[in-house]
Amino acid sequence: MVREFELPDVGEGVAEGELVSWLVEPGETVSEDQPVAEVETDKALVEVPAPVNGTVRELHFEEGDVIPVGDVFVTFDVDGEDGATDATAEEAAETPDSAAETDSDSGTEPAGDPGAIGAGEDTESAETLDDRIFAPPRVRRMARDEGIDLSQVQGSGPGGRITAADVQAAAGTAPSETAQADVGADEGTAAETTADATEGAPAADSSSGTETAAGSSGQTATATQTQPPAQVDAADRDRTLAAPATRRIAREEGVDLDAVPATEERDGEAFVTPEAVQEYADAQRQAQEADASALEAGETAGEFAEGQRERREPFRGVRKTIADAMVESKFSAPHVTHHDEVDVTELVEARERLKPRAEDRGIRLTYMPFIMKAVVAALKQHPEMNAVIDEANEEIVHRNYYNIGVATATDVGLMVPVVDDADGKGLLQLSSEMNELIARARDRSISPDELRGSTFTITNIGGIGGEYATPILNYPESGILAIGEIKRKPRVVTDEHGDESIEPRSVLTLSVSFDHRLIDGADGARFTNTVMEYLENPDLLLLE
Amino acid sequence: MVVGDVTTGTDVLVIGAGPAGYVAAIRAGQLDLDVTLVEKDAYGGTCLNYGCIPSKALITATDIAHDARNAEQMGIHADPAIDLSGMVSWKDDVVDQLTGGVEKLCKANGVNLMEGTATFTDENTVRISHDGDGQGSETLEFEHAIVATGSSPIEIPNFSYGDEPVLNSRQALSLDSVPDSLVVVGAGYIGMELASVFAKLGTDVTVIEMLDEMLPGYDDDLKRPVKQRADDLGIEFEFGYTAAEWSEHEDGSGIRVIADPVDGTDVAADGGAAAGETEVESEDEDENEEPASLELDAEKVLVAVGRRPVSDTLDLDAAGVDIDDNGFIETDSRARTSVDHIYAVGDVAGEPMLAHKGSMEGEVAAEVIAGEPSAIDYQAMPAVVFTDPEIATVGMTETDAEDAGFDTVVGTFPFRASGRALTTGESDGFVKIVAEEGEGYVLGASIVGPEASELVAELGLAIELGATLEDVASTVHTHPTLSESVMEAAENALGHAIHTLNR
Repeated sequence: MVREFELPDVGEGVAEGELVSWLVEPGETVSEDQPVAEVETDKALVEVPAPVNGTVRELHFEEGDVIPVGDVFVTFDVDGEDGATDATAEEAAETPDSAAETDSDSGTEPAGDPGAIGAGEDTESAETLDDRIFAPPRVRRMARDEGIDLSQVQGSGPGGRITAADVQAAAGTAPSETAQADVGADEGTAAETTADATEGAPAADSSSGTETAAGSSGQTATATQTQPPAQVDAADRDRTLAAPATRRIAREEGVDLDAVPATEERDGEAFVTPEAVQEYADAQRQAQEADASALEAGETAGEFAEGQRERREPFRGVRKTIADAMVESKFSAPHVTHHDEVDVTELVEARERLKPRAEDRGIRLTYMPFIMKAVVAALKQHPEMNAVIDEANEEIVHRNYYNIGVATATDVGLMVPVVDDADGKGLLQLSSEMNELIARARDRSISPDELRGSTFTITNIGGIGGEYATPILNYPESGILAIGEIKRKPRVVTDEHGDESIEPRSVLTLSVSFDHRLIDGADGARFTNTVMEYLENPDLLLLE
Repeated sequence: MVVGDVTTGTDVLVIGAGPAGYVAAIRAGQLDLDVTLVEKDAYGGTCLNYGCIPSKALITATDIAHDARNAEQMGIHADPAIDLSGMVSWKDDVVDQLTGGVEKLCKANGVNLMEGTATFTDENTVRISHDGDGQGSETLEFEHAIVATGSSPIEIPNFSYGDEPVLNSRQALSLDSVPDSLVVVGAGYIGMELASVFAKLGTDVTVIEMLDEMLPGYDDDLKRPVKQRADDLGIEFEFGYTAAEWSEHEDGSGIRVIADPVDGTDVAADGGAAAGETEVESEDEDENEEPASLELDAEKVLVAVGRRPVSDTLDLDAAGVDIDDNGFIETDSRARTSVDHIYAVGDVAGEPMLAHKGSMEGEVAAEVIAGEPSAIDYQAMPAVVFTDPEIATVGMTETDAEDAGFDTVVGTFPFRASGRALTTGESDGFVKIVAEEGEGYVLGASIVGPEASELVAELGLAIELGATLEDVASTVHTHPTLSESVMEAAENALGHAIHTLNR
């Protein structure tokens, strides 16, 4: 029984996701809830679990593809419900045969060897169809000729029918894919064959190598489109024969000759051709570029090759998501930003006193929980800041819950994990929850649910430095508070006798942006004042 | 003449010049291989000489007579006289034309023809012995061999084809006079086709079948019109009996066939015995001790209980080629046997025993030898029974498809709703199309009715191409033709047939 698995709605309202990496291969046995793929949606990297126990039959997309929700992206052979008994019988008949062929190919060209692709003589390794595949005879023959397993080809014809063009496309793609296809060809009945092929074939190694590369670079939105070159693995020999001209190329390219995969052998020693060096150098450069862009994803600066004046990268993934959100916010809500600064000397002292106690309980206490409490208290007094406009129904929605989003800079961009029901939680709980959410946002293990549902957002710009900002609303929320760095500044202090003096005090700058459709400037200022009141006198937080 | 042993060599040796072997030889010749085709009897094999072609010739001829005789409602009143020897000689002309064509085609494609019987001496040589005048033998070395020796009719105990009143299908197709009465043993497709032929020639036909149904393997709804027509023709059926022995009447008035009930089918046998009396004129019913046995008096008995592969005369052991328990040579998807450079195609390579299957395998074998990327990878193997009306199937039945895990959708179209069928006077039967529900891929079809054998071709193409119901339904079909029925069945499956109610 074949189970087609459609990409589930991994985040509410998400229409598509980018396939970052496959966690399984065709032919691999999976159990229910075992993650099969990492898909990047909205602002999170989600592991998609298998819906059934079974065997992976076919992966319909490649890493880097954008998959619409609801599209079949992987099919499974479900355990215990053997699909086609005929096919299985046929397969069983085929298996010894293919094993024999692998042997007879003198070991240099096992079934999975990408070198065999396109070599007419090796059509034998392509078995006949094991399962029902909708492709005309001419195309099936073409696939045999190219050594392509049609079950691994995604048809572009009506209803997924495989056309000649699909086979040609498959024949032209990276060898790693077809190697994978071949390895998977005997899935199901010949698990052993698969294992053998994987072990025995150097190509299979290289293909899994590139998969890993794709997987890691897939951690970033920007690097996935770079198809990792097939043969970047370094050879790492002790001694290499090469012509002087070849050695010069190696020097110029900064390539270690001993690392270049040898294509030939002379006198029993590895011999490297100029082409091989060039190829390796190119591959290395591409790999480095991929790595570099992986590291620097989310920032605009990238590595430019020498002489390169412009560099283009796809505008998608998290970057695109952020951009879309910003555009929607800024163009929907007329923003007003109110700035002020508050003397938080007492808060600093309070936090210094509480910090060791929190540490005793394994919690790192920052200022953020205090600010969250202050904000929640202010929201209660200024409920319009916690409200939202429902444009579709032309209603203002007031909310009796306080979910505070904490904008967090991560390697791949801005994320806003949400602490739910912040009004009902103590400082330590807020602190630990927030720390955990931020940590998970940074390592991208956070779930989409944890990035949704905030009613007000706090963003900390001070962590990097700076005092004021004009934060953009986390639309459709009505308010956002940006906090600056706490700095020691001279302040005019009035003592109990009414005497004024200038003292060094700890000062925090606040920038509150709000949606002027819902909130007038005076209300925004009052809200800010309330927040300031709590931050200036942290004792008041005890009342909350 | 000196019995010499001349050794010659060839790239490709093809043993047997039936529809599998001669096709393999011609294709090998087209691919510039040096090819030798050895045939011990007649080019064209069983199919052209003693099977498909002659039987179809006689079926058509007897249909013409039968139709003429039964066309009163069309305003035709005729009583055609049948000259069987004339009919058979016309049939022989057809066969000669075809077999002569095969020979010419082989020569034109550079195929060396050899007459004789091939026996393997080792995995690279055969000895070819010549029958008749030459009586010599020669040794032929080959690089590749394609075994296409076909099949022969199975004999049952006590019924030797060497005895004059006992006929196999081949002999039945060469009679020079119409027997008054005939017992047909076996209600498979050969028995049923020939039973109709002889019934239409005016012979009293009784069919004995071991199983309790005719045409085993075909769906009941397909067989119903055939059974109905056979009953109308006066063909008697005795299900649940096996032919045990026969004896000649001493007065020379024909033979008596004794049929025993199959073990464990006493109930059916009792019923069958009661019905069986009709055939018998004879009074001496006390000869047999078993009350349930049938005694059928007839002029001839035709045995058509199946065919077995011809693999025992080749000395396959000498070449190291394995055969299975049923005598079939085991082959892979490239038509290769257990010995890499020896191939087997056609009936000898396994079921289904169909000429077109053998031809396809022959082409594959020749192409694989020539290094082409061919394989036996058909999605659907059509099969036709030339009964009246014809039955044709291709691909999966509904049950097959469901067993294979498909959600199926089925559409049918009865020929009585076809204008063209009504104008031919043949409106029994239907077209049934089975498709996968999601995308509508056509998975199989079965047809019973007029020209089913021709109509099935379109559906075979649909299946191989991965066409959908929509594709078939949207293809314009000529009006008024029977082929519209295929389109209507597809539309019915889609729920929007024009000429039937869509339920």
